[in-house]
Amino acid sequence: MGLEDKLPEGIVTAKLEDLVNWSRENSTWPLLFGLACCAIEMIATGTARHDIARYGSELFRASPRQADLMIVSGRVSNKMAPVIKRLHDQMLEPKWVIAMGICASAGGPFNNYAIIQGVDKIIPVDVYVPGCPPRPEALLYAMDKLREKQGRETFAMRRRDDLAAAMVAPADIESLTGLRKRQPA
Amino acid sequence: MLNVSPRHREYETLPGLNNPAIPACAPLPQGETEDTARIVERFGDDVLAAGLHLGQQIVHIRPERLLELANFVRSDEKLAYEALTDVSAIDRSQLPIDESDARFQTVYQLRSYTRKRHLMIVCPAEDGEQPSVPSLAPVFQGAIWPEREVYDLMGIRFDGHPDPRRILMPENWPNHPLRKDMPVGGEPVPFSLTWEDPEFETLGTQILPAESIAPTVPPGMSREHMIVNMGPHHPSTHGVLRLVVELDGEDVLGVDADLGYLHSGFEKTGENKRYKDFVYYTDRMDYLSAMSNNLGYCLAVEKLLGIDVPERAQVIRVIMVELQRIASHLFWLSTHVLDISGTGMSLLMYATLERERILDLFEMVAGARLTISYIRIGGVWKDLPSAFMPRLQDVINILPGKFDEYEAMLTAGPLWQERLEGIGYLSREDAINMGLTGPMLRGSGVDWDLRRDMPYGGYENYDFDVPISTLGDCYGRYVIRMEEMRQSVRIIKQAMANLPDGLYRTDNRKVSLPPRAELDVSMEALIHHFKLMTEGFQVPPGMVYHAIEASKGELGFFVYSDGSAKPYRLHVRGPSFNNLFAISKMCRGNMLSDIVANIGSIDIVLGEVDR
Repeated sequence: MGLEDKLPEGIVTAKLEDLVNWSRENSTWPLLFGLACCAIEMIATGTARHDIARYGSELFRASPRQADLMIVSGRVSNKMAPVIKRLHDQMLEPKWVIAMGICASAGGPFNNYAIIQGVDKIIPVDVYVPGCPPRPEALLYAMDKLREKQGRETFAMRRRDDLAAAMVAPADIESLTGLRKRQPA
Repeated sequence: MLNVSPRHREYETLPGLNNPAIPACAPLPQGETEDTARIVERFGDDVLAAGLHLGQQIVHIRPERLLELANFVRSDEKLAYEALTDVSAIDRSQLPIDESDARFQTVYQLRSYTRKRHLMIVCPAEDGEQPSVPSLAPVFQGAIWPEREVYDLMGIRFDGHPDPRRILMPENWPNHPLRKDMPVGGEPVPFSLTWEDPEFETLGTQILPAESIAPTVPPGMSREHMIVNMGPHHPSTHGVLRLVVELDGEDVLGVDADLGYLHSGFEKTGENKRYKDFVYYTDRMDYLSAMSNNLGYCLAVEKLLGIDVPERAQVIRVIMVELQRIASHLFWLSTHVLDISGTGMSLLMYATLERERILDLFEMVAGARLTISYIRIGGVWKDLPSAFMPRLQDVINILPGKFDEYEAMLTAGPLWQERLEGIGYLSREDAINMGLTGPMLRGSGVDWDLRRDMPYGGYENYDFDVPISTLGDCYGRYVIRMEEMRQSVRIIKQAMANLPDGLYRTDNRKVSLPPRAELDVSMEALIHHFKLMTEGFQVPPGMVYHAIEASKGELGFFVYSDGSAKPYRLHVRGPSFNNLFAISKMCRGNMLSDIVANIGSIDIVLGEVDR
């Protein structure tokens, strides 16, 4: 029974959602973008021994318009925060964020005037990786976790209206204070 | 509610036990040397104090004659302090000083390459609305950026400075963070809160105030020309460096570097941590050569403490630092080739494989790859495991062949030469006057290496050559770094042959922890352990500048101790910061595409530039 019995060889059926998710999972292009120590481990993940190409993510794109994944690899300073926010806003949907290392996740050892205590204060984060810095294996594990998440996504999760509500007006990107004003009271 | 946030945690002893002698000022220099006598003879009563302190020549001078003194020590043949390597400042508001004393002091480090001497000049800043001292920029170009940094972080105005802007913090930052009346900042640790705590409601919604500023044209650039912004998100700037480039067609007319996108407040953090706790932070400054940073800091503190490091620890340190130099240079090579040839991905893959072998060795001794913290105050963390030496031997056997392989791909290659030769030229005079160090200095024909000329940590026992090049361009610096890797292998071989037995860490229990086994049998060891873990060790008052030859140049630590367990002032002279100053001079007259070659050739690490 079923449709497969009636179809000629070489044709399979699947949900469109699964197919789309499958292709997204296996070819997530990260943004070529390093901040601090973790960036070195991110580069190490990309080189021969750890070989991020196994995940289809070896193509680090320098333009945010072409990237699907932002790996925030290091501490985010007050001066850098607006830049990161802008880069994230320039990435096209669907997009994901990995906060690599404890600094990007929660500020880490730098609890001081200069560093923002976690990049999730300015952009939404999908996967947090602990470590200072995380080993390449830890980043690969985070990629695995991200794939799991991508695999569970539905089209409804990315409805235009919902996205529009999360969008930020270009004028607001100019200042972090502007962003804060947009936060629900 | 349990609250262990770092803002409220006090490391100090109980109030009744506080030592009234803390805080104390660093003692004034005593005695005299040939150089200080010559300066005193010339400047008379305007020299407030001069002499030796912890083996360093220090001169305290009145601000009115600072500029004259700088001119004198530079041009006088018998002094010949040609280079200014560092500028820092101390806010003495929490020290027991007289009311008539100035609150701020600026500290200058001068270096004579011909006479192999070091001189520290201390100058009290004139108090007032804003404290001020005369700028040394007319004498030393190398003062321009460090003085901007002091102005930015400490709020001291430099009269006569050609470019008095902030350099690290955003232009509209409200205060000068390194002043003692400024708090460390930051937020309480959220994990210590309970669910009932009202602070949970604000978590994830709090954003620190930091306006981004509308881009302005840097001083000296004209809107007549095309002005291109490069970075802070750019694949070839090796991190978050931003360059504003003024172009006429494809020719570069001027470059203005905008720093601070990775400013992490290392110095302020260090002033609020106990001495031993800052070792872990040094890893994260120049994260490509963590071992060198550990060593520089530990040597500075050891100099203050006046403790000796066991022979075995010294040799282990040399092995580690030289391995780190190779690893750092390999990473430099791979990214440099990637930047320049665009498609040279293969060398990135090859060279990082060799780097991974070295990281494996680090992992073997310390359990970490990148941020290692293996070198500690008084020695190293643990002894070498028995399997280490054979593995090291394997790596050392492989490396020289690999260097040959890389050189065969590059050195004589016409494309490689075409992209590097004559690019980023720096004359010998410029390199010295700008306060450049490391391969940047040697690439312009200055025969100077701190390991050989001012030996530290037992380097006087090794036989090695210091490669220099008189080309002064990117190619010369490339050749130097390749040769330095070979020399490092040579040093490691000698160290391996002469590794003595004995302690790997000093047995001075006031500074280093007793071994775990001793805690079970000795009450005294337990007390030492408890004291070290709860209070840390107190360091006698003094101020010290210690520099080492890190892979990128002179890495200096300036530490001012007030007698307590935390540094009163901690300043880091990052080699990348001072070397990056040359970018403007190097790029002028070259093409736009050569900027990438120049950045790679300086070998910057933004963690160290911005600190």
